Amino acid sequence: MSENRTLLLDSAAALFDDLAGLEIAAAWPRFDAAGLATLLVPEDAGGFGGDWGDFFAVLRLAGENTLSLPIGETILATRLLVDAGLDVPTGPLSIATSLDAVPFGRHAAGIVVADGTRLTLYRAASVTAAAASGDPLDAVTGDVMASAPSTACTMHLGAFLRVAQSAGALDKALRMAMDYTGQRMQFGKTLSQQQAVQQSLAILAVETAAIDVAGQGAAAALDRGEAAFEIAAAKLRTNMAIGTGTSIAHQVHGAIGFTHEYDLHRYTRRLMGWRSEFGNDRHWAERTGAFALKAGGAGLWGALTARTDKAA
Amino acid sequence: MTVFSIHAFDPPGDVPALRQQVRTLVATHEGAWDPVRRTNCWATGDRAFSRALGEAGLLGMIWPKRYGGHERHPLERYVVLEELLAAGAPVGGHWIADRQTGPHILKLGTEAQKEKYVPAIARGELWACIGLSEPNAGSDLASVRTQARQTDKGWVLNGQKIWTSGAHEAGLMLALVRTQEGSQRHAGLSQFLIDMDTPGVIVRPIIDMAGNHDFNEVFFEDALIPHGALIGEEGAGWKQATAELALERSGPERYLSSYLLLVALIDAVGEDPDPQVTALIGRLTAELWTLRQMSMSVAAKLAAGDDPMVEASVVKDLGNSFEQDLPKLVQAALPADFNLADGSKLARVLRHLLIASHSFSLRGGTREIIRGIIARGLGLR
Ligand SMILES: Cc1cc2nc3c(=O)[nH]c(=O)nc-3n(C[C@H](O)[C@H](O)[C@H](O)COP(=O)(O)OP(=O)(O)OC[C@H]3O[C@@H](n4cnc5c(N)ncnc54)[C@H](O)[C@@H]3O)c2cc1C
Repeated sequence: MSENRTLLLDSAAALFDDLAGLEIAAAWPRFDAAGLATLLVPEDAGGFGGDWGDFFAVLRLAGENTLSLPIGETILATRLLVDAGLDVPTGPLSIATSLDAVPFGRHAAGIVVADGTRLTLYRAASVTAAAASGDPLDAVTGDVMASAPSTACTMHLGAFLRVAQSAGALDKALRMAMDYTGQRMQFGKTLSQQQAVQQSLAILAVETAAIDVAGQGAAAALDRGEAAFEIAAAKLRTNMAIGTGTSIAHQVHGAIGFTHEYDLHRYTRRLMGWRSEFGNDRHWAERTGAFALKAGGAGLWGALTARTDKAA
Repeated sequence: MTVFSIHAFDPPGDVPALRQQVRTLVATHEGAWDPVRRTNCWATGDRAFSRALGEAGLLGMIWPKRYGGHERHPLERYVVLEELLAAGAPVGGHWIADRQTGPHILKLGTEAQKEKYVPAIARGELWACIGLSEPNAGSDLASVRTQARQTDKGWVLNGQKIWTSGAHEAGLMLALVRTQEGSQRHAGLSQFLIDMDTPGVIVRPIIDMAGNHDFNEVFFEDALIPHGALIGEEGAGWKQATAELALERSGPERYLSSYLLLVALIDAVGEDPDPQVTALIGRLTAELWTLRQMSMSVAAKLAAGDDPMVEASVVKDLGNSFEQDLPKLVQAALPADFNLADGSKLARVLRHLLIASHSFSLRGGTREIIRGIIARGLGLR
């Protein structure tokens, strides 16, 4: 980890502590003041100049916290708008693939939709339907504020954002499961001393590691340039890990984990929501499947290695 | 709470050229290889190919030149290994010697042992087997009973090893043996380098459920081996064997054993299959990609001189499940009229792997033992 990234994470951790428990109206001025929104904006454009590895690390940390704020969405929208040469509205921003499902749509001062050829910035006119598995996901009607050509794709970047948050949230669920089973006594010993529980926790740890590695692999590809395949694979693998991992986290907690009072659901509900946002398993499996079919059986290995080998 | 520290995989030199070298070598030999035995290919040996790899400088890649090695970077070696496995090359003959026996001798052996064995391993001529398991020492390896008694002429061995892969083709066994009579558990164990042509070393085949002869029973009946056959320190066998197992568990072979079935599936279904099949191929590709990133990270951690025991266990656990689930998932997703009994490549490879894959989460440490190691890494035990 670069020294810069350590400093970045320290200040992000302090900021997230500061924002804990605040409503968005109270939290946002503090978030703005911290300057994190320009994380991905190049230094010469007045931003922090972070890379995708930095973004992954910061949003992973956000995932470990229960802040219900469009932090990653705002960082991504800011970067995309700056890249496209458009003005960045002040206030919380969001990204989406369509106005039918906009994360934090009810709060967004601007919504960026980009499909790989064109980027459009909307202002939400009204919220027509609201749903929340964890964080709010709203259907909105919107007015176009600006539009420009862009190669960015909010489907991919949104998926990458959810991978990063999921890495943090599942890690948090693992830590809660370890703490809880380390204290809860049944049959005269702690649950964590039961081999069956240890084996379950090992699987949870393995799935958490899979998200981390997949996410960092996708971040590395983004830093190299084009990352459509890696993001597809990482989001699909993350969705799979969420399915396995949240079940174990709840199972080892017993009934207490099913209560509103206990915090576990603050992580697992969002994980279950993120699992379908920006592409469910079927969506991304079609993409990674098409990649493999295009390469062909004999060509698949070469297609994979070519994406990580540095050109000689 | 991370049990998996991520390391960047950054081998020196011209990696695409190195891959090409392996791919070309495979292309000149593969005409003779049976498509079924190419799956799980590190269980199958081929003398000519092992020698060809030796000649090409692709065995003993990271060992000192004075012992026949090539002083390449460990991550270059990793590139060669993953290429060979993905191509389904029959590397099972020399695999163990190149992976663990050779490095173990270089680390702990005497000068005489190094000179006797290491160059022959690097040439691809001397194959080795692992003498750990016994009838009453499986997961509980510390129960080994095979004994070595010191006499004037040398050590006299009595006892039995079992499940010894490739013992019938190996020239050498690295064995864990009890040298202190009456010692218990981890104490009193030592390691020996046993020439397989020693009188009193008797190898009997065990046919596996796939019908293959890959593993064996090995009996020691008053087998006399020289004093110089002891490797490392007398009584330090447990610690040494643990280090040997770390070498055994950290490579790319722990997730690629069924890879050629994915290749056969893609080839068989054409460019525009039923969406369910496309989705399955996509899912398997995503898992494969993730496992490859994980495995490369383990290799990089090892290359940096750190101990990747827990990370390697994570890859082995996930990788074994992947290579074990793959045949079942393919079987479940094929069109209803797919004939598992016919002679197509896909059917033959699938048939074989549905059976052979049961061993993947047993060999090299069972799933339960591996998860126990991960739990220890979490601090739970
Ligand atoms: C194809 C193949 C090749 C092999 N090659 C070699 C070789 O070359 N050299 C060699 O020395 N060995 C070899 N082995 C042996 C292998 O290492 C053993 O099979 C393995 O260590 C398990 O031992 P076991 O078979 O006696 O099973 P057991 O130890 O009897 O275990 C049976 C089952 O019980 C479970 N179990 C055991 N103890 C526990 C516990 N404490 N907690 C929870 N579950 C437990 C195991 O996980 C397993 O599922 C090979 C095995 C196979 C299948």
